[in-house]
Amino acid sequence: MPNAPATSPLAEQASTPTDTTRRTFIALGVGALGACYAGLIGYPVYQYLATPARKAAATGTVTQAVLDGADQLPAGSALMFKFGTAPAMLIHHTDGSWVAFGAVCTHLACTVNYEPEQSRIYCACHGGVYDPKTGANVAGPPPKPLTRYYVEVQDGRVLVSKA
Amino acid sequence: MNYPFWDVPLIGSGWIIGLIAIFHVMISHFAVGGGFYLPMAEAKAIREGREDWLRAIRDHARFFIILTGVFGAMSGVGIWFAIGLAHPESTSTLIHNFVFGWAIEWVFFIVELTAAAVYYYGWDTLPRRIHLIVGWIYAFCAWMSLVIINGILTFMLTPGASWLSAAGTGQETAYFWQAFFNPTYFPSLVLRTLVCISMAGVYALITASRLDPLAEPQLKDELVRWSAKWLVPSFILVPICFVWYLASVPESQRALLNLGISTIGQGTFTQVTRAATVVVMTSATILAFVYFSAWRNARHFNLGRALCVLFLAFAATASAEHSREMLRKPFVVGEHMYSNGIRKQEVEKFNREGYLANSVWLKAAAPPVSLRRVAFGDTVEPAVAADLARGELMFRGQCLACHTVDGYRPIARLLQGRDRQSIAAFLKTLHENAPDSPYRSYMPPLVGTPDEIEALTDYLDALINRKVHHGHVAQVHPGNP
Amino acid sequence: MDVSWSPKPDARRPRSLTAAVYTWVDERLGLEELLALARKKTVPDHQYSFWYYWGGLSLFFFFVQVFSGVLLLVYYRPGAEAYESVREITYDIRFGWLIRSAHSWSANLMVLAVFVHMFSVYFMKAYRKPREFGWWSGMALLALTLLFGFSGYLLPMDDLAYFATKVGLEIPAALPLVGTLMTDIVRGGPEVTETTIQRFFALHVVILPLIYIPILAFHLWLVQKHGNALPPSEEAKPESERRSIPFFPDFFSLDLGMWLIALNVLSILASLYPWQLGPQADPLAPAPVGIHPEWYFMSQFQVLKVFGRWFPGAAGEALGISLFTLAIVVWALIPLYDTRSAGGRRAQIATYFGYFALLGMIVFSIWGYLDLK
Repeated sequence: MPNAPATSPLAEQASTPTDTTRRTFIALGVGALGACYAGLIGYPVYQYLATPARKAAATGTVTQAVLDGADQLPAGSALMFKFGTAPAMLIHHTDGSWVAFGAVCTHLACTVNYEPEQSRIYCACHGGVYDPKTGANVAGPPPKPLTRYYVEVQDGRVLVSKA
Repeated sequence: MNYPFWDVPLIGSGWIIGLIAIFHVMISHFAVGGGFYLPMAEAKAIREGREDWLRAIRDHARFFIILTGVFGAMSGVGIWFAIGLAHPESTSTLIHNFVFGWAIEWVFFIVELTAAAVYYYGWDTLPRRIHLIVGWIYAFCAWMSLVIINGILTFMLTPGASWLSAAGTGQETAYFWQAFFNPTYFPSLVLRTLVCISMAGVYALITASRLDPLAEPQLKDELVRWSAKWLVPSFILVPICFVWYLASVPESQRALLNLGISTIGQGTFTQVTRAATVVVMTSATILAFVYFSAWRNARHFNLGRALCVLFLAFAATASAEHSREMLRKPFVVGEHMYSNGIRKQEVEKFNREGYLANSVWLKAAAPPVSLRRVAFGDTVEPAVAADLARGELMFRGQCLACHTVDGYRPIARLLQGRDRQSIAAFLKTLHENAPDSPYRSYMPPLVGTPDEIEALTDYLDALINRKVHHGHVAQVHPGNP
Repeated sequence: MDVSWSPKPDARRPRSLTAAVYTWVDERLGLEELLALARKKTVPDHQYSFWYYWGGLSLFFFFVQVFSGVLLLVYYRPGAEAYESVREITYDIRFGWLIRSAHSWSANLMVLAVFVHMFSVYFMKAYRKPREFGWWSGMALLALTLLFGFSGYLLPMDDLAYFATKVGLEIPAALPLVGTLMTDIVRGGPEVTETTIQRFFALHVVILPLIYIPILAFHLWLVQKHGNALPPSEEAKPESERRSIPFFPDFFSLDLGMWLIALNVLSILASLYPWQLGPQADPLAPAPVGIHPEWYFMSQFQVLKVFGRWFPGAAGEALGISLFTLAIVVWALIPLYDTRSAGGRRAQIATYFGYFALLGMIVFSIWGYLDLK
């Protein structure tokens, strides 16, 4: 900034060319600051209000996932896949039954893991434990069971669909 | 006290460093920026033949010399005490590498203090030209001490590839200059210099605010506005330099910021990002506040308003330094030493041979004196007590650097609601430190033999659930006194 | 954006769109008259001016409360699902943690600002004629603010909220004769339950605002009518030595500056120290250690506790309650006692009483916290 002679606020309002430049500069600055604040407050508020719509958009559009070749999944193991945009898991239990769950922990939305040796579904983030047969929350912080999907084993593929 | 694992209740040992360091930064950046402000203002006053300006600058010089010479120097030494107590391993690493650097800094520091004293006390006796030269000598030496210390500070975030290749070989000091001029050295130097300049403005506003607007209206208007201008360069250039700085930070640390940005809606893992956002906001507020209260209303700019600016500057500085420290996670010396003092190279050895067995400091033979909140003493058998004591040593050695029991990042709340099995599972996650573990980017791996980790589990279980687990101990340590 | 505060028509400058819009509105609403009025108004400028901002700060935090509170209403469900809905807000809904945290922090800052405002008004003796109604409406606003705080604290229904409310209701329950009756009505039964949440919710979002807003309007109208009071030290000065600044734009922009700083403080607290949500309240579980009411009820709580200890039985609590009821009555009636505009014995006694009250609050609060261990 040029070393302009110090002026009183009143004198500043006279419109000399340098003053117009300064005026524009300051107007821009004030505008930018205002925008900065509006953004810092507006963005969280928008995201806050838009959450249900976002969730519906993420889960609503996809009702079914086709997993080719998943019927060959060995008993006692799990397959992670994407149901829409969210991670999900297909488990083939040793007793021959098939189940599928959304793999998003109901506590803080970490991705959960199937641990066959412990016979549980486990969330490493905060130690949530779910029943691998039913998806019920059995220990730790999760407040709700995992989302459960319908499984249809066909020849050469597995069909997972919304309840 | 349990040196070198310093248990500070509620705030944790890290904040002892933090509080002293933030206080020091507020003053040391002024000491550098003010070093430029004084001779520049003096030269301007001489050029324009303004006696009233000289008088005001002299007042400012007194304020400056007391603040920097007393509080700046004292808090600087205070940092040494605090880091030595809270983080002996990393302090030792720094000293071993940079003892020569600190020697240079010390020389500049002595010249700086002497020049400041000569500058203030020679105000009336020295010829103007010589006096001005002393002012510039001060400015140069003060800035040089920043030049030196910046090398050491940035080293901790980015030690650089060549130093890392020598780390642990005993040849580290051969890479002194590579470590010193590390990847984030220059962006950080420019950033800090800019902050110094704006700090000079912030403190000069305090002196200017104390001028009586009725007695000297013109002087007040001019000095307030001239000082306010010192804030302008940094506000224009800091955003640009910040991008440069981020570009020099390794990808893994940038990932930390990205993780924060992507999860900020949920509020988890976002401390760096939140602190960084606060910096942006407080800086914008400083600009707006200085413009409206100082530039537009120079005559009414009183001490209260100047202190508001100082408070905002404090908030911005504290958040910025805090997020810079957080950006280093999970290391205290990037890619070399984890934030709990364990070197990356030692992890495997500790897992194999045991953490406690290799620790110079933590001796199971001399168990900790107090086990806060843990049911302990007559109620448990000696074997259980010994196991809990080992667990607490693990806790002190590996957790206490960042966590407290009930205060800052409280273990009691973070592990709240977990039973023993769930605590064990969590420790397993930390121990395995898998590439996709969300904790990996923030926390060091938990090291030690399975046995040691069991002991830590028992200790945490006793701490959180306040019941002592007997079965396991009797089984693992039969007959262990 | 036009930065000058008075967009007067200026022949040398082309009329901008902003100016055109301004003129259009001005011709219909008479903004220029309002501005002229605001410009004529002045605010005294002296060494205690700093304390003039605290009323405005309280108002700012009230606005934040309304804004964030309305946002929380979007997802909050009172009754049996209260805890679950707050858990969703805190963990599931994007930025819910921030909005809830801002609401809680702003509540605390608002109570703090209101207290500072009250004490500064007291010590500047701004309650004297003609400002008595300002003092009384302010007292009413303070009481309502505390009720807002108390009723809002229960709504998440986590264990701290539950037990703090339970403990807090012991204060009115100790009132002689009507105590139990009144508390039972407030609680909706002998225990804090879902019914209590429903009641507190109605109180917090409907009843209290309905009472609060008219009184606030009255209070602000009085401030506008009488202007800022001068502290006695300034009043003693001759007219020529007193300084003042125009309300608009000078004081107004400084007030906005203070609001901006308040917003910064709030954002720092809310984002770096997010308000925690404890585990769900379990009436059968033992109370967590060191349970206590919020800090602004701590001194009353401690007075009650101490008197209960000194004089066992209902007599002690009744005595404690009577004592601080008496203190509040005296506090409210102070404008009728300390009437003289110059100094004097009564003025001095009032000032000492103020110190006594402030010191009492601080001592009993600190004692309360030490007494928890």
